[in-house]
Amino acid sequence: MAKTKKTSVEPSEEKVTLEEAAIVAEEMPVTAADEVAEQPAAAEETAASFGDKVKAFGGKIKEFFVGVGVKTKDFFGNLFKKDKKTKEEKLGEMAVVAAASDGQIETVVATSLLESKLSAKEKFGRFCRSQSGWLFVLPAVILMAVFTFWPILSAFINAFKQNYSTLTGKYDGWGFENFIRVLKGDTGTGGATFIQCLVNTMVFTFISVPLSTLLALLISVALNSIKPLQKAYQTIYFLPYLTNSLAMGAVFATFFAVIGTTKNTENVGIVNQVLQGLGLLPNETFINWLGTSSPKWVISANLTIPWAKYIVVIIYEVWSGLPFKILILFSALQSVNKQYYDAAKIDGASKNTVLWKITTPMISPMISYLLVTGIMGGMKQYSAIVGLFGEQMGIDYDMGTMVGYIYRYIEDGHMGYAFAGSLILFAIIMIITAINRRISSKKVSY
Amino acid sequence: MAKKKTETTNNLEVEQIITEMPVEASATEMPKTVTLDVSTDFDVERQRKKQRAAKITQNVFVYIFLTICAVLAFLPFYWMVISSLKTEPEYRQSNPTFFPHTFQWKNYPAVLAQSDNNGSNFWQILLNTLVVGFFSTTIGVFVTVLTAYALARMNFKGKNALFALMLATMMIPGEMYTLTNYLTVSAMDWQDTFTVMIVPFLVSVYYIYLLRNNFMQIPNSLYQAAKVDGLSDFGYLVKVMIPLTAPTLVSITLLKFIGTWNSYIWPRLINTSSWQMITNWVTRGFSDKDIMYPNKFGDSIYSSESLTTLKMAAVCMVSLPLFILFIFCRKYIMRGVSKSGTKG
Repeated sequence: MAKTKKTSVEPSEEKVTLEEAAIVAEEMPVTAADEVAEQPAAAEETAASFGDKVKAFGGKIKEFFVGVGVKTKDFFGNLFKKDKKTKEEKLGEMAVVAAASDGQIETVVATSLLESKLSAKEKFGRFCRSQSGWLFVLPAVILMAVFTFWPILSAFINAFKQNYSTLTGKYDGWGFENFIRVLKGDTGTGGATFIQCLVNTMVFTFISVPLSTLLALLISVALNSIKPLQKAYQTIYFLPYLTNSLAMGAVFATFFAVIGTTKNTENVGIVNQVLQGLGLLPNETFINWLGTSSPKWVISANLTIPWAKYIVVIIYEVWSGLPFKILILFSALQSVNKQYYDAAKIDGASKNTVLWKITTPMISPMISYLLVTGIMGGMKQYSAIVGLFGEQMGIDYDMGTMVGYIYRYIEDGHMGYAFAGSLILFAIIMIITAINRRISSKKVSY
Repeated sequence: MAKKKTETTNNLEVEQIITEMPVEASATEMPKTVTLDVSTDFDVERQRKKQRAAKITQNVFVYIFLTICAVLAFLPFYWMVISSLKTEPEYRQSNPTFFPHTFQWKNYPAVLAQSDNNGSNFWQILLNTLVVGFFSTTIGVFVTVLTAYALARMNFKGKNALFALMLATMMIPGEMYTLTNYLTVSAMDWQDTFTVMIVPFLVSVYYIYLLRNNFMQIPNSLYQAAKVDGLSDFGYLVKVMIPLTAPTLVSITLLKFIGTWNSYIWPRLINTSSWQMITNWVTRGFSDKDIMYPNKFGDSIYSSESLTTLKMAAVCMVSLPLFILFIFCRKYIMRGVSKSGTKG
């Protein structure tokens, strides 16, 4: 043991390198350390014999560890300070490393050597330095702790407090009352219920997302088949991505709005006029897309389906969902191996067959990704509806979405209901994710 | 006879294939049953022309389809601009015009001159948005870079657990923490400062994830080379990693700023009087006491109701910066967005 110590303690310059080696050794697979631990009786003897070996190898081993230290990037020892060695020295070391072909056995020795050499204080200092990564992530961790992790925890706690008052912090015991009231619509908010908003959100999402994905697929396939003007079209299609959903919602509202007769002019809106022009609507009649007397189906006291308004929302959602989907699908299409198409051509496959039997399966991971993100985004939609129907989200939230209704609870000061609502939203998103996992593992070919 | 007919059609198909096949394939892989003695009753040139015609018609259809879709995609923007320049009576006339008869440029000054209940007008709100955007973007990107670097290149205890925890929060709808954040900032009395707009949104797990992946793609050999040249780790981050991932950083910066520009829910919820944001400004109604409109008897009256033309002018002004960004940074934005897709 003493011998080995002597060999390792040499010039001061080596100290740094040994530290590096020690850190490398810490990163080594556990098995190496276990090997030593398993034979405590033989440890001394082997250490001694190895000590001779070490001596025999001389400086070469140390150089080896210097090399390893450089190779396996350890940031800890010299995070902010410059390496004082010259370039030539370093290159020399690395050359030696390249020459050295020794395996684990030296590492084991070095580990035991260094462990015994360092005092507790040094060990602690080294540990601290090795954890300096925490300094880098600290701002993010603190911010997330306050504004992400804690709120999630708090949502799960507060949703189950009955009659929770945020002002006084008082509540009457625990239970599911918030959830029951939210789902029953018994929250004293008036107007449309949470269930109405849930149905709205579902309908918007599950119609508009597949529709826009399909349209995006067709457009990207068409885009992929042309050469001239391809870039120009791509740019135009991407344009709606960079918009303010509230602003564009307001623009879409003007397409559908029936402006009425306050100025003795009748403007039934472009969409109605186009429909009349195409003969889809009889002359002199029009659909009141956005107004209070918009056509709707009444399902029950708590649930109506204002289908005309739904169409407006779905058209907007398809339009605003297209850019992202086209961008993704187009780049996916371009990475499909051309050989498949050549093979299909030789087999005489029709365009239709190629599209549905080759192209679509090849980019199915992207399609599934778009569907999932689209549905998740759709579940959280809010601002577009405000742009289309105003801050009351239609007539007293009859076009509300879940998120919109949650914010309504906040604005009315019903925090408990808001928390319960957000948990319901969370549960729905989780269910969708789970379903997607199950489907995509079967249907999507990666 | 019938047999012969089938054979000719068969030959025809083969001929079609041959025209598009590499030479060596046609020589080696040809089925034996098919003979190539079709030169007598089969005109290759004519067939080729037919194919070309079919291809052209197909292309025409593709272009028509793409053009229709492009027009529909672009229409809202066009309508927004021309509506903002129309006079209100023209906007309301029963046959909509697709090009303004008279350009009413004063719609814009009329919108700019209006102030809301708190006395802040467009310029004040624009300044608010720019200030908030600047700080939240710069600080946010700084935090993102540090975190991504640590997660990509440094080793510390609990790194993987931390990263997994961060990614897990991406599953949770933002509304769930907006509620508590609202309570938190109320408790901290931040409501009327601009901190309230910035601090809760500094960390974006998604951008950290994106940048981390980018950092990890940089080969180790670069790090070794930098070490040989005597560069510290922080120096390596600043001098090597950041320049190499500059495109991603630009994308993140742009998307973050656009996020601030488009933020609506949080400002509305907080409802500060002095830090209103631009998107909230659009939702209000715009009326104009200076613009006179004829009523049905021909008298000029002023309207106190909110006017669509003015609203469209406001919408245009809010959309304009996004357009400018799009024109100058299209490459970065598209790259950033598409990256998000391929990495997801």
